[in-house]
Amino acid sequence: MKFSLIVPVAADKPEYNDTLPYVFGLDEEGTIICVKAVVGMDLSLFDNIYFTILRKHDERFALKRMLQLQFERFSLTQAKVVVLDEPTASQPETVYRTICREKITGAIFIKDSDCYFECEVRPKNGVAIYPLEELSVVDPRNKSYVAVDDMFYITNIIEKRVVSHYFNAGGYCFEDSAEFCSYYEQLRDLGHLYLSHIIYAMLLDKREFRPILVKGYKDWGTMYLYKMDVINQFR
Amino acid sequence: MEIEVKGHSGCDISVAREQDSLYVYKSTYDVKYISRLLKQADKQQKAADLEYQHIRVPKIFDVMSDERHATIKMQYVYSKNFVEYFEQSGFEQIDYLIHAIEYFVEKELLQSPVRRVPKEIFIEKFEDVRSKTLIKSEMAEDVQVKELMQRAAVVFESMDDWQIPVGWCHGDLTFSNILFNGNNYYLIDFLDSYVETPLQDIVKIRQDTAYRWSQLMYMQSCDSVRLRIIFDKIDREVDAYFSERYEWYRLYYKPMQLMNLLRILPYATEHRVIDYLKTIISQLLNEI
Repeated sequence: MKFSLIVPVAADKPEYNDTLPYVFGLDEEGTIICVKAVVGMDLSLFDNIYFTILRKHDERFALKRMLQLQFERFSLTQAKVVVLDEPTASQPETVYRTICREKITGAIFIKDSDCYFECEVRPKNGVAIYPLEELSVVDPRNKSYVAVDDMFYITNIIEKRVVSHYFNAGGYCFEDSAEFCSYYEQLRDLGHLYLSHIIYAMLLDKREFRPILVKGYKDWGTMYLYKMDVINQFR
Repeated sequence: MEIEVKGHSGCDISVAREQDSLYVYKSTYDVKYISRLLKQADKQQKAADLEYQHIRVPKIFDVMSDERHATIKMQYVYSKNFVEYFEQSGFEQIDYLIHAIEYFVEKELLQSPVRRVPKEIFIEKFEDVRSKTLIKSEMAEDVQVKELMQRAAVVFESMDDWQIPVGWCHGDLTFSNILFNGNNYYLIDFLDSYVETPLQDIVKIRQDTAYRWSQLMYMQSCDSVRLRIIFDKIDREVDAYFSERYEWYRLYYKPMQLMNLLRILPYATEHRVIDYLKTIISQLLNEI
């Protein structure tokens, strides 16, 4: 079975009309932040890696060429940039359009571009989690939370409500991309959709999801948090 | 702790602390409503005597009435409303709730044998609803409402006598009338019905799950996508459960739901609600 990594980096904000989205900025070693976001995982496990960006950002900031240079530098021969012509309404839509465009089959791991973690990945339904108490700086309202039972199965995932000390660390694994698409198609007209909604709908239908306990989590959810993380490294 | 008490029946609701306990007082001074409130209290008392696993009914401690008023004193339940509950429920809680609904209706069915109900009862009820709706000038001038009423009249007049379970039901089993306390569900606001049929309870549950009525009435911010996912799940499961088991459900759910939605129309005042009702009634008529 094929296993693909998808990194949606297609968020569209008004300030990106004349400012480079900060996740395309470089760290002190010259690594693009959204690339740095995935190197904590064993990337050799993935048959394909897709970074999905917007055409208007690419035209303004030459993002595709920048990313391709990074792929060369890290020898990511299986990595590819997918350029969407139009902005999407949600992260699940970005993933869905990536799957359709690239005809992706098999399992997919979706990784947020604005955080870092280390973990072992397997092509099984799962959600990356991290304990809230391990963070020094956190805005608990900006996260989704994951409840886990005694057998270590996920029983609940909720946006922006603290129902557990585990929060969603920004990694989501679906063992069947076709099933992901099927749920997306069922739910896409309900309103602003998060990946957690898709997982919750699958949980209600008795699909099993395992928590993936990650290590070394770093929250780069805003430019401020990223800079704080860099400063903390030198303390 | 903030205590919120709301009623939907037009009765006065108050909470009183007596010794160390809280009690709910439900009262009416509408002389036309006194007998209905007493019937509802009787219904609630009978329901409280039965065991329903996770379903609970607040106990009634006293019923006071004279020719000018009636008051019921009942148990106060610390609880969440359906939105607060659904926003935090994992898949297991939703699964328990679905089974509890099915179990509750099955209990009702044990006391409600399938009987022939003359079609005239439904035609008369429809005529009552039609006159109450069209007496309002805004409705009477609405071409779409008049057309919907004509189409609905054809539905009820063309049916034979109904063969449905009759005996006992809650009468207004929407999620607004369920209080959530852990995995226990307290049923409130029992209502006397023109036909005491468990089908009415399935219809009211699906008024919320298929047509999202209580969500439409909920004015505070919430995760509406999550609620819709939950409602869709409950709707699919409840519909499949009763469709697989009961012919009366397959035959009479839609006409009963049509009557139910039509009965709301005379009481709707907001344009968005009237427009929504017209849309879903039209959709339902297209399916019948």
